[in-house]
This record gives sequence, structure tokens and C-alpha cells, in this order.
Amino acid sequence: MTEQTEMTPQRPLPEITPLTEPFWRAAQSKKLVIQRCAKCDEYQFPPELACTHCGSPDIDWHEVSGRATLYSWTVAHPPMLPYFQERSPWPVVAVELEEGPRMIAGIVETPVDEYEFGMSLVAEFEKISEDVTLVMFRRDG
Amino acid sequence: MIRDKTAIVGIGTTEYVRDIGRPELQTALEAIRAALDDAGLTATDIDAIFKIETPGEEPNSELEVARNLGVPNLRAWGGAGYGGGAACAPVVHAAMTIATGMADVAVAFRSRNRGSGGRPWARTGARVPGIGAFEIPYGLVGPVQQLALVTRRYMHEYGATSEQFARVAVAQRACASKNPRAYFREPITVDDVISSRMIADPLHLLDCSLETDGACAVIVTSAERARDLKQPPAYIMGVSQGMGPRHYMMSGLIYKENPFDFPTIYAARDVYAMAEIGPNDVDVALFYDVFSAMVLWQLEAFGFCEPGEAGAFVEEGRIDWPDGDLPVNTHGGSLSEAYVHGFNHILEGVRQIRGTADCQVKDASIALVAAAAVVPSSALVLRR
Repeated sequence: MTEQTEMTPQRPLPEITPLTEPFWRAAQSKKLVIQRCAKCDEYQFPPELACTHCGSPDIDWHEVSGRATLYSWTVAHPPMLPYFQERSPWPVVAVELEEGPRMIAGIVETPVDEYEFGMSLVAEFEKISEDVTLVMFRRDG
Repeated sequence: MIRDKTAIVGIGTTEYVRDIGRPELQTALEAIRAALDDAGLTATDIDAIFKIETPGEEPNSELEVARNLGVPNLRAWGGAGYGGGAACAPVVHAAMTIATGMADVAVAFRSRNRGSGGRPWARTGARVPGIGAFEIPYGLVGPVQQLALVTRRYMHEYGATSEQFARVAVAQRACASKNPRAYFREPITVDDVISSRMIADPLHLLDCSLETDGACAVIVTSAERARDLKQPPAYIMGVSQGMGPRHYMMSGLIYKENPFDFPTIYAARDVYAMAEIGPNDVDVALFYDVFSAMVLWQLEAFGFCEPGEAGAFVEEGRIDWPDGDLPVNTHGGSLSEAYVHGFNHILEGVRQIRGTADCQVKDASIALVAAAAVVPSSALVLRR
């Protein structure tokens, strides 16, 4: 835990564990990686210890294209954590990767009133701290 | 094996307020004592205790409750996990325990200071563990934001509207206006809901449950013993828990191929099978309503309409009391009576079966109670 008082509107960041480290390390070098099962070939996100489709522990990390479509979104208003409340209204998106799995992400350079279901997106990488680069998306084209 | 072998014979609550000014253990004891009085039993009759659990906020252990009630011996106990998904689970476990002969009289309860105790998500640390690590840093922090995301996709896939969600809140408030226990009793309109402050688009303030303090308890015993007690028994026809495949909670549902493959669908299938009934047999439904949209998902999960048709079902007034064919949350639910993790819905199910509800469904003989749709879930069928 870093030192943080309630008055410091700091952005909550991911705890990086042995399981999730490959994801966050790849993000630092602007790569999006997710797990794929060596047995049944299914991709999955978020990271797990085994394949959630067939139970096989034989899973590995694969770089994916970063192309996605907009699956859903919300725009959050107060009450929120201080960091987000200071910047509200705050949009959060769910995207569907070209490879199938979906993830929660941030979105850049796209006003909320232009969001459309199925809109083409491409991954971006936003360095937040020494060890955390968040995966963001922006409209593709 | 469990069907009709047990009954709810006592119910008790505290008041429902924003700040109850007493610890959760104390309100738990008050609700349990009230339920014992209602049943005509005493603490010396109790030999099992079951409760709802939410990680990180459980001051009310079974042993503290037993000790402070003066229970001579506990032969079974346990907490059911996943908050609102466990709304019915302590009664599920109580029925199972009594039907199998492990205990004779079980208490099931929930006590929570969710009004004065603060929002669990407000305690988010600087570093987020688990799956939240992939959500919270993006600003998807609280339950309302998480379910807003799922709700928007539901609207897109099925054409549901904010007005339809609002109808749920309006129908439940109309019931709450006749319920002296309800926190909010002032009738509202669809316009009031739609024009209330946006919390997480598309969910407005009045689409959201209350944040209240309070406790609820029920007493479960064998059907045989129930017949000799003070109150008409609410027999437990069916109990279930359900999770479904590849389950991720709340906004995590989007990780599934079909996010609307809710845990409650599995709980619905099994509770009907045990009770040997179908949706047409249900006279009144008590659905977990932390947000208005969830009631639509439960109408679909429990087969009152096809997937995607619940919006129209609600809009046609079919969940309204007294004229709808399936009155829902006749106490006002979490949207208007109180937020006690859905446990107050079980008490209303019992009142309907006894014929003592403030908004009594005429000749109600079967009540369905369902826990949260979007987390590992549970359900009950009660009968006269």
C-alpha cells in the first residue's frame, strides 16, 4: 500500500500480481495481451489460473490486434471516488475485442454523444505511473 | 426431500431509517427477538443460525448472536456469500438443515447499517486487488456504475426504455405509500424518475435502491412443529441457489458470451422444479430491486415473459398492485421500503401468505422470493 490520505484524490490503480503481471507488462510496451487455452483454443479475459471454458491449466498469453467494437458504456456522476468525481461526468466503456473477449476500458478523444454500439475502436496505452499503463480505446478512423 | 417439510413461522424487523444509531449486532438481536415473539418461541428453542455475508463487513457472527440471545447450543450455522445474491440463501440453508434433521429451529437474518455505515466502494484502496483491478482504475467503481453498463446493453439488445424502468419504481412507491414501515412513502410518477438526477447513465437517482439501516429476521422450523405455533405457517415449497457457467459478478457479466445469462435463471429453474410449480402458479413476486432494471431481468428469468419482453410487461401495469396479474414488491422493495440486502422481501412474502400485507394480494397462496440476478443467486417459493 502506498501512503494515501482520504483527502488526496489519487486514482486507484491495479494491484499487479504474478497472474496479471504479463498483461500490465505488455501494456507498458503498448501491447495488448490476453490468455488463450492451448487445449480448446478459446481466448479469455480477465486473466485466470486456468481456462474458464474447459478447465485446462494449459493457458498462455497472446498478443491481440487491439481492434475492438464498442459494446456498452456508462457515464458516471457523483457520488464517486474523489479522483473521478473531480473529473465527472466520467465515461467508462465495455469493448468487444476482435478476438472475442470483452473488457472494461477508458476511451479517449471521443465525445460521449458520438458513441454508437458497434463503433470501431483501437487500443491506446496511457502511462499512469511507473508500473501502470492503462489500456484505453479511441475511435478507429 | 425439502419441499413442504419446513415453514417460516416468525418474522421480525427493526425500523428502517437512514441512521439507526445502534450497531448491527444489536439490531440483529432486536429483529430476531421480534421474530421469536411473532412465532411464540424463545431463544432456548433455537439451534441453528444462518446469515448473509458480504466480504469485509461482518461484525455479526453466529456465535455473538447466539451468546447474546442465550441460545443453549447451536447444531448448525453458516453465512451465505455474495450480498444481495444471498438474500434468500440463509433461508435455503435453514430449510435444508431442518428438513434433514440437523436442527429443529433456525434463525435466518440480515442486519446492515448501509445508511449510516458508508458505501463499501468508498473504502477503495490505492491498489485494487482481483478482477476489480481491470475495472476500478477506469472509473467503474460502484454497483450503480457497474450495472448501468449492463443495463445500457440490455436496452440496446431488447429495446427496453428508461420509462419502463421508471414504471417499476412508480409501482413500488405506490405500494410503499400504504406501508408504515417504508422509508419513502410519497407517490412518484414516471416523470419524477426520469427527471431525477442521473447517477450512472442510464440509471437515475429514483432507479436506485435506498441506503438505509435496519435488520430483518425469520424463524424456520419443521412443518409439523409449525402447525402448533402462533402464526399461520408459510410453508417452504422450494429453495435454490444458482450461479451458471463462467460467472463473473455485476459488470463482470460482460465477460460472458451472453451477459444476460444471469445466475437467477439457474435459481429459477431449480426452485420451480423443487416446488413443482411454474410461473402461472405464482400469485405475488418479491424481486431483488437494487436498481429498477433488475426487476425486468427477474421477470424474464422466472418465465413471466420471454427475454426482452419484460419492459412491455411492466408498461402494461402487470406488476402493479392490486390490478396487475403479478403484483411485484408489494412492500415497496429496496427502492422504497428499505435496503436490507433483499431480506425484507422474504418477510413480505410471509405476510402475503398469512394475508397480513399492507398491499395484500387477494387470496395469495404462492409467493416467489428472488435474490439479486447478477451475482450468485438464490430463490424461495412460499405457500399457504
